[in-house]
Amino acid sequence: MEPNEPLHYVAETDELEEGGRLITSIRGREIAVFNRENEYYALANYCVHQGGPACEGRLSGRLTEDERGELVYEDDDEFVCCPWHGWEFNIETGRSLAHPDRYRVPTYETAVRDGKLYVRL
Amino acid sequence: MGENDRTITHIGEVERIVDTDFHLTEQQETILPYLEEPFDKVLNVDSGRVRGQVDGGYLGQLYPSAGHLTPTDTGKAESDDIRTPEDVERGMDLMGVDEAILTPGLNLRLGLVHHDELAAAFATAYNNWLLDAILDADRSFYGAMTVAPQEPAKAAEEIERRAGEKSIVAVQIPGGGVTPPLGRERYFPIYEAAERAGLPVMIHNAATGIVGNYPLQWRGTKRYIDVHVPYHPAEQMWHLTTLLTAGVPVRFPDLTFVMQECGIGWIPYFMRRYDNEYAKKSEDAPLLEKTPSEYLDDQFYFTSQPTEGANDPEYLCAVVRLFNGAQNLLFSSDYPHYDFDYSDTLLKALRPEFTDEEIENVYGRNAADVFAL
Ligand code: FES
Repeated sequence: MEPNEPLHYVAETDELEEGGRLITSIRGREIAVFNRENEYYALANYCVHQGGPACEGRLSGRLTEDERGELVYEDDDEFVCCPWHGWEFNIETGRSLAHPDRYRVPTYETAVRDGKLYVRL
Repeated sequence: MGENDRTITHIGEVERIVDTDFHLTEQQETILPYLEEPFDKVLNVDSGRVRGQVDGGYLGQLYPSAGHLTPTDTGKAESDDIRTPEDVERGMDLMGVDEAILTPGLNLRLGLVHHDELAAAFATAYNNWLLDAILDADRSFYGAMTVAPQEPAKAAEEIERRAGEKSIVAVQIPGGGVTPPLGRERYFPIYEAAERAGLPVMIHNAATGIVGNYPLQWRGTKRYIDVHVPYHPAEQMWHLTTLLTAGVPVRFPDLTFVMQECGIGWIPYFMRRYDNEYAKKSEDAPLLEKTPSEYLDDQFYFTSQPTEGANDPEYLCAVVRLFNGAQNLLFSSDYPHYDFDYSDTLLKALRPEFTDEEIENVYGRNAADVFAL
């Protein structure tokens, strides 16, 4: 996130409902914007694995174990799956679920002004 | 292009890209209409439901499943359906490949089908469908005809029947769950027919095969990853070791084999391990006249996907060198399965070390040789 970069208009906020996403092109880059609980998150739609459309797959949580060893499903819809091979990326941080320190999709700052949604890039 | 040039920087600069493992995704109902007698009459019962399914029946499951929970089943990976020539072309376009060897989908599990004669009939039906609905001599994709290892004599007849087809360039043995292993004498009629037809034999496992060949391991593991990591290469090694020990490359000197889809790190390991053991136990493999690994170098080829370690070029380049990959490795994508490799994945890793010539070999020339394209 470069604070000095300009804001780019993406859409009216009411065009992007809660739980929804849209994919737009800004300065030649495909950017996905997600509305999760009325917070907006922007990520590059380009997968750091093999270049697939990282933000076009299903949303998902993660299946994990609690302290008692029981399976639990957590962080529902906090991840987007790249449809090519199913890698999961956290939509807020862009980090991969499996290798958070090694692989991340670039994220961008979003802003809302007067009912309009912007991405800084 | 000079002999030692290293000018290729991008996949678009590779002259000819042949994908040696591009899957169709036929389903049981895709091939049922292509059954011949007697099974056409037996299975194509008109019950008003999906073909091959009668009320209360189990015919929808003639190909056993191991019940693995995979990224495809959770919808995390979205696999494309490849059941028409247009589907094939769309997938090839996406992968950026010029030519492709089409391999089966559901029929990767053919070796598990419980009814031997029906398995042979399914192989025939698959080949009928392949030739009728998919292949065309004018197109840039070719077929591996499939045989059922359960019925070697019928498999040999099937090879003879299809050998003249221009668009058939290989014989596919689905190796998953096939027992006894493929080096055993009962399979020699398949090798004899393939050699006579001038077609290479491709061996491809399926993770599902674990229910046939490693039932205890299937029971003992409870996650897909524990099946897929060790089992794919283990079963290939199991087939391969018996092929060497039985002297198959000596008995069929003009036959070549293509081992598919189980990574490549195990290949140099297997070669050295077999050579090392052979020095002490050569009586176990009395027909071999050369160092065992020389047969692998001469008559065996290996497809590239999944190229684990692609993010570590030093590792991958060393591994590929250690089995003379410039001559023996064949690029493959495995599209549209969830673990496919995009066409530039291997190139990115090989580029620092491998010459243009060698890269062209791996991406197309070796395949053009093996499949006589
Ligand atoms: S390209 Fe995105 S998961 Fe492989």
